Amino acid sequence: MLRRSGPYLVAAALLAWCAGGALSGASYVSRFPPPSEIHVPAQGAAGDMFALAFGARRLFADLWFIRLMQYYGTSEFCAKQLTEEDYERCEEGMYFGKGKYLEFFSRARHVMELDPGFASAGLYAATSLAFNMERPEEAEELLRYAIKYSPREWKYLTLLAAIGYSKAQDPAAVASAITPLLGDPDCPVMVKQLAAFLNKKVGNYPAAAAIYADIAATSRDAAYVANARRELKKISKRISHR
Amino acid sequence: MMKFLRLSLAVTIDSFFESSRNRFFTIFSVFACAAIYASLLAGIMAVDQEARVITDFGLALIELVTLAYTLFYSSSVLLREAETKTIYLVFSRPVPRGVYLAGKLAGIMLTAAVMLAGMGIIHAALLALRGFRPPQFYVWALAGSFLKLAVITAIAFLVSLFSTSAVSTMVISGILWTAGHFASEVRFMTEHSTGAAAWALRPALWLIPNFQLFNARDAAGAIGVLPAAAFTAAAAWTLAAYLCSLWLISRKEF
Repeated sequence: MLRRSGPYLVAAALLAWCAGGALSGASYVSRFPPPSEIHVPAQGAAGDMFALAFGARRLFADLWFIRLMQYYGTSEFCAKQLTEEDYERCEEGMYFGKGKYLEFFSRARHVMELDPGFASAGLYAATSLAFNMERPEEAEELLRYAIKYSPREWKYLTLLAAIGYSKAQDPAAVASAITPLLGDPDCPVMVKQLAAFLNKKVGNYPAAAAIYADIAATSRDAAYVANARRELKKISKRISHR
Repeated sequence: MMKFLRLSLAVTIDSFFESSRNRFFTIFSVFACAAIYASLLAGIMAVDQEARVITDFGLALIELVTLAYTLFYSSSVLLREAETKTIYLVFSRPVPRGVYLAGKLAGIMLTAAVMLAGMGIIHAALLALRGFRPPQFYVWALAGSFLKLAVITAIAFLVSLFSTSAVSTMVISGILWTAGHFASEVRFMTEHSTGAAAWALRPALWLIPNFQLFNARDAAGAIGVLPAAAFTAAAAWTLAAYLCSLWLISRKEF
């Protein structure tokens, strides 16, 4: 009996398969950038193929973000031959976050190409570009690219506004603009650090102290935690001297 | 009808216990636990993004390990049962071929679900150990992985009925797995192609199951939940592969 119903089985299978295809076609909208926009660094081509083939974009965006942090964490100044005085300054952290880091933008954009919804990476990269490396145009370009594929991500828009204020040399406005980001779990510690620094710069010590206390309590980055504790001591001294 | 369900359940339970007794199950389980533990080490490098990295690493590894096991098992089970003549014993009793096939398929899916749940619990425990909670989309990500595995298992069953070896079945199924994740790229290429290239690409949109539809793991930032269409599409593709397998198995002389 089963043999005689062969053509019906095949027809039913084709119908079911097409129904699956039609449902998928009607309901699936890719939120990721198309392949034509993925500019793969040569050494990462195999990894990106794996990311797409196994549906692991998020995982590979994480790996590229770790690579980006390692790249940015390697001091450009210390690596070169410097005078003894420069070297001491470097060791003291005077050049922290400074440098050219020519590949920074392309690496950061690649993270966004793989996962534009990776808000922490987008904020970290844009903050570094705009406020540490003084390349606000690249930061804006990065954020605009991320917004294109994550239009509901308010954090990108907030940082974009803050970068606009920084161009207008208005640190108080920058600090106020990034305040909504600080309570978000995606907010990178670097943005918090920037907010605390700007608040301190404009004389808003209670706000700066609150942010440093938050960094000291929540960050897993030992360098930021140590710096926050140091700054808290300085601020408390300054307030007590008043 | 109840009789068929009872028979199918018996085959499912038998298939589940057979697969869990398989030594590869133990090997894959040990490998999965070790790999998930390694994700903790990778997470430490990400400093403030540790929770995200551990989650992503763990979820991807859970899916890949379960995929490897289910593909291996579903590619070899029918061939092995034919070689060892076990299948003759089953069909000499009043067990319809459709019921047997459905039971085997359900047994592997049950194994996949148990593996996903087991590794998910281990992974969640590791996250808790590091002071993190599994994200909100966690269960949806596992459910999406299960839907993908259900579809690919049914396809592997179908392929194993006409391929000559378990290896070729695994290779063909593996190619379909990767092609399924490229579905949105294929659609993009189709929309931007003209002439013969567009005509050649269009059927691929219908022929290749879109696994990105079930990829709640990657879509976590946007929606995090699976649409109802994902469940229906998975059921449709699994049913289609099952019906084709039924047609092929009905033509075989057992």
